[in-house]
Amino acid sequence: MSPGTPPHRDPEVVGGGSGDRARRLTPLISAGVVALYGLAAVVLGMIWPGGLTPGVAAALLVLLGGVAVTVYVLNRRAEASAAEAERHAAEVERRESLLRMSVDGTEVGLGLVDANGRWLRVNDALAGILGSTELDLQETTLAAVTSADAQPAITGALDSVKAGSRFEADSVQVRPDGSAFPVRIAISSVPANGAGPMFLVEERDVTEAKRAEHVRDALAAVRHAAATSATIDQAAPSILASLATELRWDAAQLWTLDEQGAFRLRNAWRREGDRLAEFERECQAAVVSAAEGAFGRARQSGLPAVDRTITPQTYPALVMAARRGGLNGVLAFPVGATAVIALFAEQAEDQRDDVMTMLATAGSEIGQFMQRAETAEALLRSEADHRAIFERAPMGIARISAEGELVEANTALLQMLEHDLPTLRGQVWPDLLRSYDQAAARARVAPLLAGMSAGDSVQVRAATGGGRWLWLQVTATSIPDDHGRSGHVLVILEDVTRVRDAQDRVAEALEAQKSANADLEKLDRTKTEFLSIVSHEFRTALTGIQGFSELIRDGGLEPDELRAYGGYIFNDAERVNRLIGDMLDLDRMESGRMIFRMADVDINEVLTDAIARAATSTNVEFKPELDPRLPIVTGDRDRLVQVVSNLVNNAVKYSPEGGTVTLSSRAEGEYALITVSDTGLGIPPDEIAHVFERFRRVRTGAATAIAGTGLGLTIVKQIVEMHGGKIWVESAVGHGSAFHFTVPLAAAVVTPAMQLRHA
Amino acid sequence: MPEPAPGAAHYTVLVADDNEVAQRLCRRVLEKAGHRVLTASDGQEAVNLALANSPDMILMDVAMPGMDGLEAMRQIKTQKPGMMIVIASAHSMASDRERFLAAGADDVLSKPFKLTELTGVVDRLAGHVSSTRPQ
Repeated sequence: MSPGTPPHRDPEVVGGGSGDRARRLTPLISAGVVALYGLAAVVLGMIWPGGLTPGVAAALLVLLGGVAVTVYVLNRRAEASAAEAERHAAEVERRESLLRMSVDGTEVGLGLVDANGRWLRVNDALAGILGSTELDLQETTLAAVTSADAQPAITGALDSVKAGSRFEADSVQVRPDGSAFPVRIAISSVPANGAGPMFLVEERDVTEAKRAEHVRDALAAVRHAAATSATIDQAAPSILASLATELRWDAAQLWTLDEQGAFRLRNAWRREGDRLAEFERECQAAVVSAAEGAFGRARQSGLPAVDRTITPQTYPALVMAARRGGLNGVLAFPVGATAVIALFAEQAEDQRDDVMTMLATAGSEIGQFMQRAETAEALLRSEADHRAIFERAPMGIARISAEGELVEANTALLQMLEHDLPTLRGQVWPDLLRSYDQAAARARVAPLLAGMSAGDSVQVRAATGGGRWLWLQVTATSIPDDHGRSGHVLVILEDVTRVRDAQDRVAEALEAQKSANADLEKLDRTKTEFLSIVSHEFRTALTGIQGFSELIRDGGLEPDELRAYGGYIFNDAERVNRLIGDMLDLDRMESGRMIFRMADVDINEVLTDAIARAATSTNVEFKPELDPRLPIVTGDRDRLVQVVSNLVNNAVKYSPEGGTVTLSSRAEGEYALITVSDTGLGIPPDEIAHVFERFRRVRTGAATAIAGTGLGLTIVKQIVEMHGGKIWVESAVGHGSAFHFTVPLAAAVVTPAMQLRHA
Repeated sequence: MPEPAPGAAHYTVLVADDNEVAQRLCRRVLEKAGHRVLTASDGQEAVNLALANSPDMILMDVAMPGMDGLEAMRQIKTQKPGMMIVIASAHSMASDRERFLAAGADDVLSKPFKLTELTGVVDRLAGHVSSTRPQ
């Protein structure tokens, strides 16, 4: 309320001017009353019927005297009353003045409204808060100065507030210039003075309190964001939004120095709006020098700096963007040593100290947070690197406690051992550890943990969860704790199975090579021996051929000599031929090039033919014991004939004159069993094992007409075995020999497997 | 027995060979040359005859049933170190010749042989005793 505003005189309130009027009126009233009395007495005397009598006159005089006394008394009283009233009025005025002073002097806005909210009285504070005067306000209502949003609450309060109760709330009011401002408002009913209910309205402008609250909230928001974020990029959106909204800026941006020492936009917040969006886009592409405008001042001073205009001179990089965004004011405050936060607004006002202080504090705290976050990020990266090494290392890595318990194991280890961690930890590891321990003990005569020093390494055998056996190279490294004591042990497991297997294979290969070399040597020896034997056989045969033919050539021989020598030559030549044939047969069979023409063969017929052939040229008796029910066999008839005649010839050769050669046949399971036995000298036990070897001949001592090649039995054995049969000999010296062989019956389809089983 | 050739020395030669044809050839050729021929068909028989008849020379085959020629030679040389023994073998490789000489043979005749080789070795050695040969 302006000091020049005249005080309002209210009839209902006892006025301060009534005492003065009373004092001025009293003498006039007294004179008037006396004059009226005198006039009344004269009139009475004149008109008194019967004339004025002394009695009447006396009565009149008494009356007049009484009147005069009364007037006097009344006048005195009136005078006293007027003085009293004057004193009272002065007192009231004094009191009201005090009250007014106190009502107008208080910062609290006070006002009286009627039931409709019309302002009846307002104090200076309230008029000030509302940006108006009491007189102007008396033309309007409480609702009218309240913002539209808050009106319902206020009008509701007027309806609901009863005597003795009180409505109190935050509200927003509007000044005549249209500006809204926050108030704390209380409405209470006051005792009615006959003219309907009235309400006392108390208001407090809380703009400043709210502003301070926003500043506090902004700082709190900054701290909260920092406390709940891991990185500045996580924290920045919340920080910037809080600063801009709490402090009423249109855009907030975090700019950080790049490696070239220029500011680059890192995070941004802005209010809704195309122009601000455009501004932000342009800022994202901007490179702001470290010295530009408030940015540079803030960075250099370490304090917030404000520019109320953005000029091309001070903001060469940002001016265009700012103009497009309709932004003229900027406030920048340093964030640590390497960043600033810039706040933009259409108009920047001078900032209060508490805001500047808060921003300096916030910048410092955000800077610390950035540093912490970057350190943490670096640590995380470092930790992540190590974790990655641990997890992705191709070798199994396990950490075990000093007590030998598995603390952790990487993926490679679990995959290698084909176990999950709990199984590995609970069951497998102790065993593996024991095997390591044993291996370590064997290798180094040292218990596991005590003996573990850097690089200790052993190879142990371990089974995987999948049942595969692995060779593990176990390398242990002790990790000392902070006090240098032996703490955890890092164990590295490598699957060296392939290496070991390769080593084993190499060893095997070497062994095989040695064996092969030995075989080759043996083969070489065998070949040499064979050549030696063969050449010996040929040369033996040739000795007769060459010697006797030389005798014949030199002439002078008798005809019978010639005939005899010709016979020797012929026999030996024939023997050479047989030898060559046998050798070729043997070679073909051994190399698998011999072709067998398999067919059904009646083995009894073969035996009968052989007897018939041999019987003509020998004195040996033949005794057939053939089973007529013997089924036919499967074989190459010519080869079976070769086998039988070979055995028969052999039997004849070693039989004495008149000896008996028995040929028998019978079925034996799926085979035909044929036996050729003689009553000859028999084969000494040490020779029996060798009778089927090449050029092994058991000599009877008696020269025979038909010289064997020494390959006959070897060929026989080959033929029998190629048929899937088997040949063996029984012999007793002095009693004779029996050669047995088997040939599969035609009915039995002999598979290679059966041959194998049979063999 | 045919007439010995005139002007030639006459020796007793033991032919030890399991091959009948070889025996007959040697007998025919040596007797034609005027020598006396004894024959054996295995090593043991050769030892027996050699010790019993003290031939001037033995023509010894190697590959014979039972006791072979080398063993027979060893036994004979043990008892009669001066006995001239020529190994006549169809084992005719160079290594065989060395082997036989190392085993104590006084000479080696490889089969098959020319008839003059047979008579030559007898003429050359039968008159000598092995002890006179440089060892």
